[in-house]
Amino acid sequence: MMEADSPERLCEGGAAAVLNMAPGASISVAYHPQFGPHDDLMLLEVDEKLLPDVLHQRVALRGQQEEDAVLCTESKTYAVKFVGTSNSVFLVPPSEQYEIEGKCGGELGLGGKVRASVLKVAQGCMELVEIAPRIDKLKNLLLERPYMSSDVEMGDSGEEMGAGLYGWGDLVEMVQASDEELRRGLEVLSAVEIDGFWRVVDEQYMDLILNMLLHNIVLNDWSFDALNESEVMEVLKSDGFSPDISLHCLKVFGHRTVPDLGSSIWSLEEKKVCVHFARKVLRGGKKKMDAFMEEWVKKIPKGMHVSFDMLEGEVLTEQFGIDTWVRSFSVSSLPYNPTERFTILFKEQAKWEFKDLQPYISDLSVPGSSLEDLLLKYTRRTQASVDSEPVFSAR
Amino acid sequence: MQIPIKCGCGGECQEWTIVEVQGVVEVQPAFKDQFQNLEIGLLCRPSSQETYTFTVGYHELTGSKVPLKKPLVVLKKVENGTSDQEIVAAHKRVELEVVGIIRQRILFKTRPKALISRPQQPVVKTLSST
Repeated sequence: MMEADSPERLCEGGAAAVLNMAPGASISVAYHPQFGPHDDLMLLEVDEKLLPDVLHQRVALRGQQEEDAVLCTESKTYAVKFVGTSNSVFLVPPSEQYEIEGKCGGELGLGGKVRASVLKVAQGCMELVEIAPRIDKLKNLLLERPYMSSDVEMGDSGEEMGAGLYGWGDLVEMVQASDEELRRGLEVLSAVEIDGFWRVVDEQYMDLILNMLLHNIVLNDWSFDALNESEVMEVLKSDGFSPDISLHCLKVFGHRTVPDLGSSIWSLEEKKVCVHFARKVLRGGKKKMDAFMEEWVKKIPKGMHVSFDMLEGEVLTEQFGIDTWVRSFSVSSLPYNPTERFTILFKEQAKWEFKDLQPYISDLSVPGSSLEDLLLKYTRRTQASVDSEPVFSAR
Repeated sequence: MQIPIKCGCGGECQEWTIVEVQGVVEVQPAFKDQFQNLEIGLLCRPSSQETYTFTVGYHELTGSKVPLKKPLVVLKKVENGTSDQEIVAAHKRVELEVVGIIRQRILFKTRPKALISRPQQPVVKTLSST
């Protein structure tokens, strides 16, 4: 029975009624019985390329309360920006969703009038912009508590346990980066998973274990290019190093070659070992070139050879009168945020030639910007004459 | 904090749509507090072209159906934790669920044309039956 004040019976056709209107047809657009602010409903603009990731549950929003949320896929990070509109955006759901009486059955609009109901007026939508992961936080978190040695770890009192330690699940909650970018970030930091927590290993402890490894190589007459993983682990274990840390040492200073039957074979990388000792020599401060080279060569294991080129992105040189001084300045210590990176670079040295600057910026990656774009944005380029090398300084 | 975006539609999402007009539609004061079910206007498709008119009160708008350059997904915030106690317990798990997708909208980007005579349809806001 029709109600007395009802002018005519309308059936609810929802979004489909609007989208499939036949020529000559008309429908009534009305406020939905459940019309309201519906703050729990939001619109997210998604690229067709990204849509499968969203529909197959491969994305998540990441960020702490005080941070602007980012959306992460498996491999990329996007900033989420709310874009408002002054238009009235009437949102019409399908009639199947949001319970409503009198749904149109079968063919829409056949006999009787059709209505499409507006659930909400959208104030705008969220847009996605691909960005570099906000990975600098990862380093800060892991540096809260570097791994010193198993003895130090054991000695920690109960109440402190867990403080400053982060597992994969914690990092995903705290760092605004995709899983792939996070894994890459951990690799760049030479982090290692120990007892379920991702740790950076204290440099002096790394020095200790590397020296122990080199010592054992001499003692056992092993070759740098053919270190048997299980033998190395066995020997280092007897020297008091856990298997996690021993394997980590091989990863940091070498790479796996062909996996032997049953046990992997590792090769130490000359450059990685040499750079480690150069850093050690310069830990106390800058040195005159000659003194530095002499001390560096002395520290290197027999059979390895140093070359100053190895220190690209690790040291800076400076001319004082006739002396050249070397000081430690490692690209790995610099933030990935380009603004912060360039600020530190120009604080360290006011003017840079491209060949010197390049190792300190080549690892920067900002979606949509090339290295040239970054130089244009963050530096001032000057050239004394047409043929002279361009010099970059702060803007 | 991580908020996963869930989707139960397995690639085939329910399609929602948007009817978009410039400016603001104001409900007459008499209906201010109860405009659920109230008619906003009449949407017509006069010909086989994708041109539409939208008659709101004494105003007529002309617009068209336009595909969105990038689709919009409709997300619904879902808070897990069945009892209040669970919600209080530090970790209130929030999820976003994809409840629909919008690929096309009917956009009226022109200023309204005033209708001189009273429109045939009773589009002046009246409460329709529920």
